[in-house]
Amino acid sequence: MNVIMPQLGETVEEGTVSIWHKKVGDTVVAGENLFDVSTDKVEMEIPASTSGELLEILVQEGETVAIGVTLAIISDGSKANEELVSATSEGEKNSSNTRSQSTNRSRIAKEKINKRDSKGNPLSPVVRRLLADNNISPDDLNGSGSGGRITRGDVLSYLNNNLANTSNGQKIVPFDSVRKLTAEHMVRSKAISPHVLQAVEVDYFSVNRARMLLGKAWKEQYGFSLTYLPFIAKAYCQVIKDFPRINAHVVDESLILFDKVNLGIAVDLDFQGLVVPVIKNADDKSVADLAKEIWSLSDKARNKKLVPDEMAGGTYTISNSGTFGSLITAPVINQPQVAILSTDGVKKRPVVLESDMGDSIAIRPVGVLAQSFDHRAIDGAYSAAFLKRIRDYLQDEDWDIDLN
Amino acid sequence: MAELTYREAVAAAIAQEMRRDENVVFLGEDIGAAGGVFKTTVGLLDEFGPVRVRDTPISEQAILGAAMGAAMTGLRPIAEIMFSDFLAVCWDIVANQMAKARYMTDGQVSVPLVVRTANGGGSRFGAQHSQSVENWAMTIPGIKVVAPSTPSDVKGLFAAAVRDDNPVLFFEQKSLYASKGEVPEGDYVEDLGKAKILREGNDLTIVALALMVPRALEAADRLEKDDGISATVLDLRSLVPLDTQTILTEVAKTGRLVTVEENPRLCGWGAEISSIVAEEMFYELDGPIVRITTPHIPLASADHLEDLMIPSVNRIYDEIRRAFS
Amino acid sequence: MAKKPGNKSYQVDLANDDIGEEVRINLFRLQLECRHVEQRANDLFLQNLIKGTSHLGLGQEAIAAGFAGAMESDDYTFCTYRGHNHTLARGASMTGILGELMGRECGLLGGKGGSMHLTSVEHGAMGSYAIIGAHLPIAVGAAWSSQYRGSSQVTVCFFGDGTTNIGAFHEALNMAQIWKLPVVFVCENNLYMEYTPIGNVTAVENPAADRAGAYGLESIIVDGNDADEVYRVAKKAITKARDGQGPSLIEAKTYRYSGHSRADPGDYRPDGELESWLERDPVKSYRQRLIDFGFPNQEIDLLEQEVLDRVDQATETAKNSPPPSEEAIVTDVWADGGSSWRN
Repeated sequence: MNVIMPQLGETVEEGTVSIWHKKVGDTVVAGENLFDVSTDKVEMEIPASTSGELLEILVQEGETVAIGVTLAIISDGSKANEELVSATSEGEKNSSNTRSQSTNRSRIAKEKINKRDSKGNPLSPVVRRLLADNNISPDDLNGSGSGGRITRGDVLSYLNNNLANTSNGQKIVPFDSVRKLTAEHMVRSKAISPHVLQAVEVDYFSVNRARMLLGKAWKEQYGFSLTYLPFIAKAYCQVIKDFPRINAHVVDESLILFDKVNLGIAVDLDFQGLVVPVIKNADDKSVADLAKEIWSLSDKARNKKLVPDEMAGGTYTISNSGTFGSLITAPVINQPQVAILSTDGVKKRPVVLESDMGDSIAIRPVGVLAQSFDHRAIDGAYSAAFLKRIRDYLQDEDWDIDLN
Repeated sequence: MAELTYREAVAAAIAQEMRRDENVVFLGEDIGAAGGVFKTTVGLLDEFGPVRVRDTPISEQAILGAAMGAAMTGLRPIAEIMFSDFLAVCWDIVANQMAKARYMTDGQVSVPLVVRTANGGGSRFGAQHSQSVENWAMTIPGIKVVAPSTPSDVKGLFAAAVRDDNPVLFFEQKSLYASKGEVPEGDYVEDLGKAKILREGNDLTIVALALMVPRALEAADRLEKDDGISATVLDLRSLVPLDTQTILTEVAKTGRLVTVEENPRLCGWGAEISSIVAEEMFYELDGPIVRITTPHIPLASADHLEDLMIPSVNRIYDEIRRAFS
Repeated sequence: MAKKPGNKSYQVDLANDDIGEEVRINLFRLQLECRHVEQRANDLFLQNLIKGTSHLGLGQEAIAAGFAGAMESDDYTFCTYRGHNHTLARGASMTGILGELMGRECGLLGGKGGSMHLTSVEHGAMGSYAIIGAHLPIAVGAAWSSQYRGSSQVTVCFFGDGTTNIGAFHEALNMAQIWKLPVVFVCENNLYMEYTPIGNVTAVENPAADRAGAYGLESIIVDGNDADEVYRVAKKAITKARDGQGPSLIEAKTYRYSGHSRADPGDYRPDGELESWLERDPVKSYRQRLIDFGFPNQEIDLLEQEVLDRVDQATETAKNSPPPSEEAIVTDVWADGGSSWRN
């Protein structure tokens, strides 16, 4: 199948192949990085979408081509008459040995898959295809079909269980590509940045009043609810003007400060992973605009319709952990940003209200805002001052928004 | 919803369409005063009168020819051919005239009509009154072919056939006339060219039509209960237009295809489905395609013999079980 | 006024002229058009510009003209594969007809139907049919439709002597009569059923007229080579139908000059037969008729020249028209213009 230059952003029309991770003749497994692409906006690692042998590279490193152009060709293993290309350390094409039976597992996908297994049982078209696509030898399987025939179900079960035995109450679930990527990022982030957690409690009375006033009409007009998140995002955008070292990146012992706010909003994909779409120029937007854009990006994220452009260029990230009512979260920084904010659960709590006439207790919606910051870049006092200002803004602002 | 028999659904469908559009007229042998030899058109003469509901002489060529001439000049006729076997008597009008008029005249003419007919066996009428001939119609380009298995499909698909601007051959299975089912009331129309998934399974996909549908369902239940074989059952409902995508999708899920056809073996409709699947879904097939059909022999009339020839629940069950052992 | 078929001593009675100058001019022009278009089709065939086969109506022009002259513009015509005359006489364009015969884009049917299926719905020409007898019940359907709709349209259905022996003929006549439908059945008896004299294969002498009684209809025979006679008979039958008095069956005696089709040189005809009929050529006779009724020769010549010019023009236009594009193959199987049987 053809590997093509992917669509990297709405206005992006071409890309440059910066690195090939595989060379001609290599076996490629679906999900592993095949090549890197760079555009003026983004540098992306592109995983292979199928397994097979890399037959040909058509666009070399450093070349720039238009979106959709074929970059390389991967065989899909179902063509049974392919020549063997050796992937051994000898590195030479070994055409005279193409038909010999080889026990080398890496050669299996390229070998002509016979129509029968070694017991003489027939291998059906779907079985042969699955075996070839997944580099499995029919001898590895037990057939449950008549006469010991390997069935489609047998191959699928085998793939599900991989090589592990499943007889002692365990089930092995290998990381899929999203999980693997996430794992890498998390480890790297913690290794790079000394994370410090700092939190404030916010009384959302004022925000909530605005929410309640507008809530029903908003839902009717736009089809989704108005949450706390757009208000918090707005607060960030206003407050950050006085705390520029937080809307920044740490790069090579320097801080890169940004005038504009590109606000990343972490979206959970139904417990299958995290993705962080970015609201560009959030500081120009009203609460209403922020709410709409948060919703639209989350929707796209859940339907896997985000383009890389929409995930690049963030200057700060907000992670909305509070949907499930958590008390406090210590989020992991989205490198190379300086900090990340967790918005935790809002719950009715008794609070003390001070006034000239004495203290009283009121029931207020209260929630924690928790920021993890990179202690290389800023110190506790700076972060604390920033958080205090966010809290004050949220509590004191006269939230007057119109539906539009 | 109302519970109707398959035959009542026929009359209900015709009435629904004739009420809706005064250009719909109906002709055939014994359809009016007698209410149809299978009692499928009871009450129509009373409701619509002898100008719109015409009893004809025994003149199949004239019945279909007149329907075509009327369709070409502004009406939307329904014509009955009493037994589908009799289509052979007027096949010229179906295959040479109706099917081709629009194409040959470069779109000047259209032929919006429905030919409804009692198809298939199981009623001990003998070889010339029991054939299943929907596959004949399938082979003629320019004809739409419909064969419902339930009363609700009778009503919905018949309405769709009348509202379609093309010649549609509507095959009612005569052994299903007494079967009952829930039928939506009021204006009800389905889509031609959409198959229906009646049962979902994992091990094989059974594609069936008309009388073979309830039999396939029963066999599938038994296969599940007795042998742990779980089958998807697909009611094709239309042969033309053919819902190829649903067939391919369902076969891809299970990896096995079985067709259950009332046609005699050679060139039964299942042959075409098998060919399409073998060509377009080859790499999803986990085993050979199986066709269960009536043998390629004229139908015997003795009840015992007829039941052995047309695929029965037992035979469907046995042949599938054998294919999966 | 005694007017026997083929009687040269036709008496001209100007005082009791039931047909009139205007109709006569029209009938003559129609016959000329038919003659010259068919002649041109013959020539084009010899030049290999028309492929396949053609069933020419040379010699049978008076029947097409006589009926067309008597019909209203929204009446229906159904005819056989020998239908160029009938389609042209209802008003279809010469370019369309010659173009269709040559398989060009400008053809009446876009090159998709061919000589045997000429149709022009806008002119009421509801098709030429290549299966013997099939169109008789279809014509019955069109008549049923106009009766049902109360539109007073009449259907005229043309067919050959051979058709009277096929089943559909009998079914159609019976149904037309029992339902009293406004349809006129016209049998063009040109004496030959394909290559066989009709008398050898028919149980009665007049294949259509002698069967009329079996359907409760009057036996009507007319000289198919005399356009005036045809016109009179046509007018009467069409009026009867329009008045709701039911169908008619007319047998028009005529002759065809060419063989059954291009493949047939007509060697099975006895010597002298063709020649004797040529003497009663309908176009030649009608030209004389006009002169007898006082039309100046010059005007007649002008008329003929004008027709010839139009035939020439149509021929050139049709020759210059390209063959149909490949896209035409997959259009118009279904009413929505498409051809797909699957998704």
